[in-house]
Amino acid sequence: MNIKNIFSQFKEGLYKTRKEFSNKLGFLFSNSKDKIDFLEKLEELLILSDLGTSATAEIMNEFQQINFREYKENNFIFFKEKLKVILIDILNSTAPDIKINENRLNIIMLVGVNGSGKTSIAGKIAYRLKNINNDIIMVPADTFRAAAIQQLKILACKVGAEMINTKEGADPASVVYDGISAARARKKNIVIIDTAGRLHTKTNLMNELEKIKRVIQKEANDCSLEILQTIDATMGQNAIAQAEFFNKSLGVTGIALTKMDGTAKGGIVIAIKKELDIPVKLISCGEKLNNLYDFKAEKFVEALLD
Amino acid sequence: MFASLTDKFQTIFKKIKNKGKLNENDIKNCLHEIRIALLEADVNYKVVKEFIDSLHDKIQQEKISESLSPTQQIIKIVNGEITLTLGCKQNDLSISPAPPTIIMLVGLQGTGKTTTAVKLANYFRKKGHLPLLIATDIYRPAAIEQLQVLGEKSNLPVFSMGKNESAVNIVKAAIKYSSKKNNDVLIIDTAGRLHIDDKLMNELQEINENIPLQEKLLIVDAMAGQDAVNSAKVFCDKIKVSGIILTKLDGDTRGGVALSLKKVLGVPIKFIGIGEKVDNFEPFHPERMASRILGMGDVLTLIEKVETAYSKDELEKLDKKMKDHNFDLNDFYLQLKKMKNIGSVDQIMDMVPGFNNLKNRIDIAKLGDREGELKKIEAIISSMTVEERENPSIINGNRRKRISRGSGTQLSDINRLLKQFYQIKEMFKKGPKLKSFSFN
Ligand SMILES: Nc1nc2c(ncn2[C@@H]2O[C@H](COP(=O)(O)OP(=O)(O)OP(=O)(O)O)[C@@H](O)[C@H]2O)c(=O)[nH]1
Ligand SMILES: Nc1nc2c(ncn2[C@@H]2O[C@H](COP(=O)(O)OP(=O)(O)OP(=O)(O)O)[C@@H](O)[C@H]2O)c(=O)[nH]1
Ligand SMILES: [Mg+2]
Ligand SMILES: [Mg+2]
Repeated sequence: MNIKNIFSQFKEGLYKTRKEFSNKLGFLFSNSKDKIDFLEKLEELLILSDLGTSATAEIMNEFQQINFREYKENNFIFFKEKLKVILIDILNSTAPDIKINENRLNIIMLVGVNGSGKTSIAGKIAYRLKNINNDIIMVPADTFRAAAIQQLKILACKVGAEMINTKEGADPASVVYDGISAARARKKNIVIIDTAGRLHTKTNLMNELEKIKRVIQKEANDCSLEILQTIDATMGQNAIAQAEFFNKSLGVTGIALTKMDGTAKGGIVIAIKKELDIPVKLISCGEKLNNLYDFKAEKFVEALLD
Repeated sequence: MFASLTDKFQTIFKKIKNKGKLNENDIKNCLHEIRIALLEADVNYKVVKEFIDSLHDKIQQEKISESLSPTQQIIKIVNGEITLTLGCKQNDLSISPAPPTIIMLVGLQGTGKTTTAVKLANYFRKKGHLPLLIATDIYRPAAIEQLQVLGEKSNLPVFSMGKNESAVNIVKAAIKYSSKKNNDVLIIDTAGRLHIDDKLMNELQEINENIPLQEKLLIVDAMAGQDAVNSAKVFCDKIKVSGIILTKLDGDTRGGVALSLKKVLGVPIKFIGIGEKVDNFEPFHPERMASRILGMGDVLTLIEKVETAYSKDELEKLDKKMKDHNFDLNDFYLQLKKMKNIGSVDQIMDMVPGFNNLKNRIDIAKLGDREGELKKIEAIISSMTVEERENPSIINGNRRKRISRGSGTQLSDINRLLKQFYQIKEMFKKGPKLKSFSFN
């Protein structure tokens, strides 16, 4: 997958308007009167990008140590580079990208709070994998929300992937069971599971997800399992709690950061990585099937500071 | 997740307890904590800045030093200021003198427009109106079907023309249709869109210019972060939003976005969404939202819920038990059951200061929320003697073994139950007395 420019989408027209909302980092760094002034502006930049107070405080701390007089002349370049390094360092991870294992069943399950983009990501992943000739089964385990099954069905049709049939109100874990059985019977190597949106605080709904995971572990113990949590880039600090709870229940293997085509910076993933060490794996920048990109820390940080 | 502001203040004030006076430095410390609390609640950076400045003056003017409890005083001031900014309760939607009343819902993708449209229609029907829902999301897969299914479930009519007609034409046709069916309130569900998507923003403007809209409601996700003011501002500029509905407040988000939007846009917040079901919909209460933003727990909502679930007698009895340290395992079981009846134990703990940052809250919540766990507790407790239930401290190893056999549970289950019982007992000792929920 070509990830040379994850934000190529912006060039298609949104870029210019989006630019107006940028934090004008250059201006910020080159126009600081003194250290206090600079730190205040830095704080503003980080908070406005949704990094949250504790990640922001830690990053500011690193700048606090610097002797500003030494860097007075070319502070803009110096500070920008330093900030970049700090952020990239936090975001870079040793976790592997999403890989498809040819010799095993691959199961990708989407989880997350309501409306964060699970179903869309399920479609986008299918589209991407289908393009490289994989055999996919889509599993509509959101049997709760109105027309959620139809929504996935339409995406599956567009992509040309098979979808398990089910009805609103069916037991999600059973649908997943059917999906795995069908994959084995029809010799498909990829199962993509769309689950219902749920707030992380709803214990009974979280239990339902845990049950799905148990079914997967029982029925496909040898599979390679990717549990992706969608985080909406417009979210604030609550996303940390979201990640914490979903991770505790399921062991999230990665984050798919969605709605990055808006003006929100999605900085919350920095706080999440820092506090919970959950890596971002995918970025979604739009509603079209091909608006999905592998996450690259450098590109993300560049966009954040752009 | 977040230590409550009350706790933080108490730490600050503990240090100065005997000085009897708040100096400039104490005030600064308090303001610092308030600032952090607001930022953690996702109140916009710039809004926080202004707010803290004005607060500084207010606190200085008050005679804090003479008060017995500076903590309560400062909280009251802050709470009051936020409540004031959030505005008074104005959840009435205006009705057009010449029907039909047409209401359009707009917002970013996935914020809850479609769900809220149905909630709103249901709300109007309860008030005696004949609402009609209009499906104009011609873009998102199965968006129209979603509205249709929801409408059908609640027995509310939905007007749609498929995906090949423009939104404005669909609305025009719906108006014609409604006059035949006598629908007097029309609710337009629009597609989610980015504020920087000119093409789709033009679509809204076109509807706005050609249709007499009574209300234009911006649907905002209560979990939204700093950028919310940017997008909301554009929606306001383009179509002059008349009100805001905050959704997904049933979680543990602090919802600082409410304060930012009200401050920056000056548009009233009218309702809140507190769940996916059609009746999970409430009027907006500024004072509740204020304490929620400050992380002090939505005590008022809890009080209301507790008030409906407990009789006055019961409350007093329980309160007395707590005070006299007579809270026993029977009561423990009853309380878990009761909390479960009020809502999710987890949610209730969220609302109460002291409970919400409890280390093992997840365990206790699970204990209360899981059907099976509750049954297990019932089995264990019913295998105990009267004496054991009333005085759990006598339950030694041998007794535990007997109870385990009698209830068909593991020893570890019993140990866990006892541990949690003591924790809760401890918690109630520290936490707010139930008495404060009583009706005087
Ligand atoms: N602009 C933009 N919109 C997106 C993106 N991803 C998803 N959306 C939109 O966000 C809305 C919600 O997306 P869904 O995929 O339905 O979200 P979900 O998590 O499955 O929602 P529930 O199943 O209801 O919890 C839809 O309108 C999507 O088209 C994105 O990257 N950018
Ligand atoms: N927990 C909770 N979920 C909600 C609430 N309101 C809406 N939802 C859920 O949020 C998700 C998105 O809601 P929709 O009504 O489809 O949102 P929308 O704004 O119409 O989305 P698009 O049309 O795709 O832009 C769904 O899963 C809803 O069930 C709420 O108050 N609480
Ligand atoms: Mg979905
Ligand atoms: Mg919708």
